[in-house]
Amino acid sequence: MTLEELEVFVTTQANVAMEAYYWWCTALMIAIHVGFLMYEVGASRYKNAVSSAVKNLLAFAFMIPTFWLFGWYIYLAFPMGFSPIDLEGYGTPWNVSMGPMLSDQATGVFWAAFTLFACTTASVFSGAVLERIRISAFVFLAVILGSVAWILGASWGWHPDGWLVTGFGYHDVGAAGVVHMIAGWFAFGVILNLGPRVGKYNADGSANEIEGHDLRFSFIGLLMIIVGFFGFLGGCLIWAGADFGGWVNIYGAPATLSSFAFNTLMGLAGGMIGAFWMSKGNPFWMMSGGLAGIFSCASGLDVWYPGLAFVLGFVGGVIIIPANNWLHSVFKIDDPVGAVSVHGVAGIWGVIAMGLFASGYPASGDIPPTSFGGQIVGCIVMFLVGFVPGYGISFVMKMMGWLRVPDAVQQAGIDSAELGLRATAQ
Amino acid sequence: MNSWPGPENSWEGVDAYFTSANSEGTLIFWTLLCIALLVLVTALAARHESDTAKKTK
Repeated sequence: MTLEELEVFVTTQANVAMEAYYWWCTALMIAIHVGFLMYEVGASRYKNAVSSAVKNLLAFAFMIPTFWLFGWYIYLAFPMGFSPIDLEGYGTPWNVSMGPMLSDQATGVFWAAFTLFACTTASVFSGAVLERIRISAFVFLAVILGSVAWILGASWGWHPDGWLVTGFGYHDVGAAGVVHMIAGWFAFGVILNLGPRVGKYNADGSANEIEGHDLRFSFIGLLMIIVGFFGFLGGCLIWAGADFGGWVNIYGAPATLSSFAFNTLMGLAGGMIGAFWMSKGNPFWMMSGGLAGIFSCASGLDVWYPGLAFVLGFVGGVIIIPANNWLHSVFKIDDPVGAVSVHGVAGIWGVIAMGLFASGYPASGDIPPTSFGGQIVGCIVMFLVGFVPGYGISFVMKMMGWLRVPDAVQQAGIDSAELGLRATAQ
Repeated sequence: MNSWPGPENSWEGVDAYFTSANSEGTLIFWTLLCIALLVLVTALAARHESDTAKKTK
């Protein structure tokens, strides 16, 4: 084999291996949706178990074509703000770049990974609106969140030319803000307009606990979500085949998959233990705490000392429980799975922790180093990118009568009233 | 084989090799059809929900 032949061989193998890596990350991320589906089915009452699952399936199914139609283009075209940069058609669905090309082995698998990130935002939102949102309204809002809102935030805070990155050194490699904050606060905006399930609150303002019909589904579902997040976080690292050589983080700085392994697991454990302590052993909060622990470490997964990641996760697992109680008591919301707290609040903590404990890390090129101020700016932006469209669009839908399942249908059960079936033959 | 660029019925010079890659108009047609199907299914689902609400009192 000549030197030239060896070079071609190595380049080809590197590109094929890169494709395969993102292919399997994408496959693993589907476990997130299996998990959310099982979690929400278990957390629903028996009369709404099937419709909860249908809602999850449709979020997945609608996100894929809409992310192909405009989601990927938004990521590429809007890093500077609300005005698109001229890509000469690149990224639009009728451009050759959005189909199989022999010269481009990256776009398809990167698009797929981003599409599954988008599906994850929709699944986060799905749990918060359980048992009283119209399925068609949910699908529309999920598309707004997954194929417009979060990817606009990603274009600003993840894209190497994003204005938050180039102007403020915003650092969020595992998407604590870009995915979790946006999804959590979008959900908060929607549930303010959607209102609680029938029977959640009494006339005097006191709340009733509405129990799901089978917590075993929820336990397994939550663990499946954790499994799937290893695909999600693996997909947040860049392996550009033969172009760069080894790993870089999404901002082009050196990184390792080992750093993600150390800190994802340590954050997970810290979150579970923190929530175990805070909830006095409630298994629902322990597993939600594990997720919150991962999100608490997500912004700096590439740089944390694992011991610090454990502490950050512990704090995340602790704070989500009083935060969830506070949101319910002050705003009288009904968030059956604690999605706003687990994703929105833990996401805030993750973004701010990066500024508190990891300021001064250099990125690549002209990107400024990480800073507390930059993380605060990013935190505010991610909150607004989630909350404003969630609240504004759902408010218009509420005025149109296209948001909430009528009380009579809720009481009859959505499964039998709308779908004409039951979860089991019991 | 209607690839872009490159001659038909050959892999020589081909880059984009998917169906209709050489016809932007055809790609726009399939794109619009995708959008129409998504909107149609959502609208039909919303209509079914409204009908159900009227029947369930």
